[in-house]
Amino acid sequence: MKSQRGWGILLLGLLVLLAVIGPWVAPDWHAMSDALTDALLPPSRAHWFGTDQLRRDVFARLAYGARVSLVVATIAVTVAAILGTMIGLAAGTAVGWIGATVQRCINVGLALPRVIVLLVVLAAVGLLSPVALGIILGGTGWPAVARLVRGEALRLREAPFVVAAHALGATPGRVVWREILPGTMPAVLVATTLGLADAILLEAGLSFIGVGVKAPIPSWGGMILEAREQLTNAPWLLIAPCLALGLATSAATLLGEALRTSLQPDTR
Amino acid sequence: MTPLLEVANLNIFFPQASGESTVPVDDVSFTVAAGELVALVGESGCGKTLTGLALPRLLPRGAEMGARTVIRFRGTDLTSLSESELRTYRGRRIAMVFQDPMTSLNPVMRVGAQIAEAIHAHRKVSKRDARERVLALLTEVGIADPTSRIDAYPHQLSGGMRQRILIAMALAAEPDLLVADEPTTALDVTIQAQILELLDHLRATRKLAVLLITHDLGIVAGRADRVLVMYAGRIVESAKTARLFSHPAHPYTRGLFASIPRLDADTTRLTPIGGSVPRPADWPTGCRFHPRCGAAIAHCTTHRPPLEAAGPDQLAACWVTQGMTK
Amino acid sequence: MSRWMIRRIAEAVATTVVALLLLIVLLHLLPGDPLSALLGDRGADPAVRADLERCWSSHRNTWQSVTTYFGCLARGDLSYSLSKQEPVLQLIRERLGPTLLLGGLTLLIDFTIGLALGVWSALHPDTWRARLISATTIVGYTLPSFVVGMLLVWIFAIKLPWLPTGQLSEVTLPVDSGAWAVFADHIKHLILPLTAMVIATIAVPLRQQRTAAMTTAAAPWVLAARARGVRPFAVAWRHCWRPALTPIVTLLGLWVPMLVAGAVFVESVFSWPGMGSLLADATFARDVPVVVAAGFVVIVVVQIGSLLADALYHIVDPAQRST
Repeated sequence: MKSQRGWGILLLGLLVLLAVIGPWVAPDWHAMSDALTDALLPPSRAHWFGTDQLRRDVFARLAYGARVSLVVATIAVTVAAILGTMIGLAAGTAVGWIGATVQRCINVGLALPRVIVLLVVLAAVGLLSPVALGIILGGTGWPAVARLVRGEALRLREAPFVVAAHALGATPGRVVWREILPGTMPAVLVATTLGLADAILLEAGLSFIGVGVKAPIPSWGGMILEAREQLTNAPWLLIAPCLALGLATSAATLLGEALRTSLQPDTR
Repeated sequence: MTPLLEVANLNIFFPQASGESTVPVDDVSFTVAAGELVALVGESGCGKTLTGLALPRLLPRGAEMGARTVIRFRGTDLTSLSESELRTYRGRRIAMVFQDPMTSLNPVMRVGAQIAEAIHAHRKVSKRDARERVLALLTEVGIADPTSRIDAYPHQLSGGMRQRILIAMALAAEPDLLVADEPTTALDVTIQAQILELLDHLRATRKLAVLLITHDLGIVAGRADRVLVMYAGRIVESAKTARLFSHPAHPYTRGLFASIPRLDADTTRLTPIGGSVPRPADWPTGCRFHPRCGAAIAHCTTHRPPLEAAGPDQLAACWVTQGMTK
Repeated sequence: MSRWMIRRIAEAVATTVVALLLLIVLLHLLPGDPLSALLGDRGADPAVRADLERCWSSHRNTWQSVTTYFGCLARGDLSYSLSKQEPVLQLIRERLGPTLLLGGLTLLIDFTIGLALGVWSALHPDTWRARLISATTIVGYTLPSFVVGMLLVWIFAIKLPWLPTGQLSEVTLPVDSGAWAVFADHIKHLILPLTAMVIATIAVPLRQQRTAAMTTAAAPWVLAARARGVRPFAVAWRHCWRPALTPIVTLLGLWVPMLVAGAVFVESVFSWPGMGSLLADATFARDVPVVVAAGFVVIVVVQIGSLLADALYHIVDPAQRST
C-alpha cells in the first residue's frame, strides 16, 4: 500500500513537472518549422517523440497538453467536490421534505449518464477553453460525490460524538459545519482523487471526438485524433499521448486507492 | 479391536518465505473408537481447530502436513488419498459441525437444499426421496414444523435452529465420526444445553463417534468418555473423563480446573494461570508450558516431555509428574 | 407483479421524465439560442424549418420551451436533424440496432466471461494467468476506450491487415454474395469494436467479482460444503459464485455509464453506425435536436437496464425477497 501511494505521487509529480517546465524546455508547441521535410518525422534526438503533419514538435505539444489536461481535470474535480459536498450534505442532514427532495435530485443526477449531459451541453455551446470545459466537467461530476457525502453524513448523524454535540446544546448549523462536514472529508478526498482519472479520460475522449478543447490548443485527446489520420505512415504519433494518458490515469487511480486504504480502512 | 480413527504424529506447519515455518500442531497422536465421545480441550490458538480440520484433510491454504503424519480411518490412511477419493470420506465417513451457525450456512440457498446437497454428494437418490430424508433429519435434530422450515433461508432461522440444521447436514450422509468444533460457543446458554443434549442423543441412537472440540471443560463433564488436553500445539494430557476430573495430572490441566468456578469445592478464590498463551511463532523450547508452570524444573526448559502413563487410563506429558526432581 | 415492482417502474418513468426536463431547461439556460444560431447559416427545406420552429423555440421562456418540446415528443415528433435535414426519429431508428448489438454482446461477454474470469482468478491467485487477467483489467481501467480501439486498429488492421478498420460491413462486397459471406463480413467488422468495448468495460465486473468471490471463497459455508463432500464444481458454482452474485447485480449501476461512454468513443473510432457515433457526430456538428433526442433514448435504455437489474437483484437475494 505504501509503495502504491509512492508510485501514485511519483507519477503525478512527473506529470505536473512536465506540465510546468515542459513547455519551457521544449520548443514552443505551435512553432512550425519552415522546411516541409520536417513533417511527420520519426522520434529523434531533436524531436523526442517526432513531429506531426503540421511540423510541430510532439513532445512540446505533449507537455502543453499535460498542462491542459491537468488544468481541466483539477478544475473539474474541484467544482464537483464543492457542489457534491454541499448537495450531499444538504441531502444527508436536512430534515423532512427538503432532504428527501435533494435526495431525489441526486438520484436523477446519477441516472443521467455523464457523457450524455456533456454532449448535450457541448452541442449547445460549441468548443470551449480549458477552464470552461473544466467547469462543465465538474458540473456533471457532482452526483457521485453527493451520494458519497450523503451516505457519510447519514452515518455521522448517528455517531456518538455528534449526538453528544447536540446534547451539549450546539446549534444544528454548528453541528453540520463543525462535526459532520469534517467527517465527510476523507471520503470526498478519495472520490476527488479517483475522479481526477475520470476527468482526464473524459476530457481526452471529448477532445478525441472533436468537441472538447478548442482545436489549436494541444490536448492529448486531440493529438490522438490527429494521430489517427496518420496511423499508416506515422504510427509513433499515437504512442506519446496514449502513454501520457495511461500514466496520468494510473497515477490518479493508484493514489486514490492508496488514500482509500489509509483514510477509510473500513471500506474496501 | 482397531479404533475407528487413529491419528499418529500429526504435524501441521505453515512454510514461510523465510524458510522457517511455524508449527501450530506438533506431533499429535490420539485415537477415537466407534461410538466414543472424545473431547479435545484447549484454549484458543492451541491448534485444536486445525487438528479437527486435518482429519478430513480440509486444512487452509498454505498449511502442510508432516511426512510422518498418519490419519487412519478404518484402516485406510487418509494422507495417501487423492482429492476425489477424500471426497468420498468427507461427510460420508467424517462429518463436521462448525462453530458459527450464522456463517456456516450459505445465505442464498434454502436450508433444505443445503442438507439435500450432502445426501446427493454421496448417493444416487431421487429428489423426492432426498426431500423425505431431509424432513426426517429435521425431525431427528428436533426442528419443529420441518415442512415449513425446509424451504427457509438461513436468515429466517434463529441461531439455535441453524446449529440444528448444521447438525442435520452433518448427519445426512450417515457418517461414522462427527467432528464438532465449538458447536455451542456462538449460542445462548440455554440453547447450548439443548444442542449438547442433541449430540448426546444422536451418539446413543446412531452409534456415532464424536470428537468434541471445545475450550470449555464444563461441557465435557458427564458427556465425554475421554478428554484430550491440548496446549501450544501438543497434547499434554489424555485420560478418562472421570479420572481427569478427579486426578488431573498435568500442571496445565490442574491450572484449568483451578481457574473455573466449582460448586463442590470449598475454595473461595479462583486461581488463573499466570501469563498468556504464546503464539506459534514464539513457542518455548522443552515443555512449552514451563514459563507459566509453578512446578517447572531446569530440565523442563530444554527437554520435551513424552506422553507417559500417569495413572489408570491416564497419560501426561510432564517431567515432574513422571517423577523427575531437581 | 408485486407492488414493489410497480413502484420501481413509476420511479424509473419519473426519473426519465425529470432527466429530460432538466436537459431542456439546461439547454434553455445556456447562452445562445441553438436554433437561430445554428440554422441561420444553413440552408434548410421550409418544411424542416417549420418543424424545427415548432419544436425548438426561438424566443420563448423556459416553461414554453419545455412544454413545446414535450408536446412534440408526445406526438412522436422528434423534429429534424440540423445537419442532415432528416427526421431525427429515422436517424435513431437506423442507429439503434447496431448499438444494441454491440452493447448487448458486450454485456453478454462482460457478465459471462468477465464473471467467470473473476471467479477463476479469485480461486487461483498467484498464478501467471491470474496476473495476466489482472494486468488486462488495469489496462482497461487506465487506458481510455478509444485508445484501446486505436491500438487494436493499428495492430490488427494496419500492421497485420487481418480485419477491417471500421464500419458495419464492406461496401465493396458483391451484391450477390451468399448469406454466409455477408454474415462472415459482419462478424469480421464486429470483432475489433467488440474487443475494444469489452476491454474498456470488463474491468468493473471482473474486479468486483474477484473481490466478492475471494470473500465468499473464504466464507465458512464454503468450508462446510467441502466438509460434506460436495463436488468441487458445485462448491465453486453454488457456494462461491451464487452468493457473490448478489453484490454484482448492484454493480450494473457502475458499469452502465462506462458502457455508454465506451459506446460514444469506441463507435467513433470504428465509424460504427450506432447511437454513440451519432451522438458524437451530432455534437461535433452542434446538431442539438439529434443530441437531445439520442441522449433521451440512451437514458431510457439505461433506465430500463437498471430496472431489470433491480428486478434481478430482487430475485437473487432472498433477504430482499422476504422483506
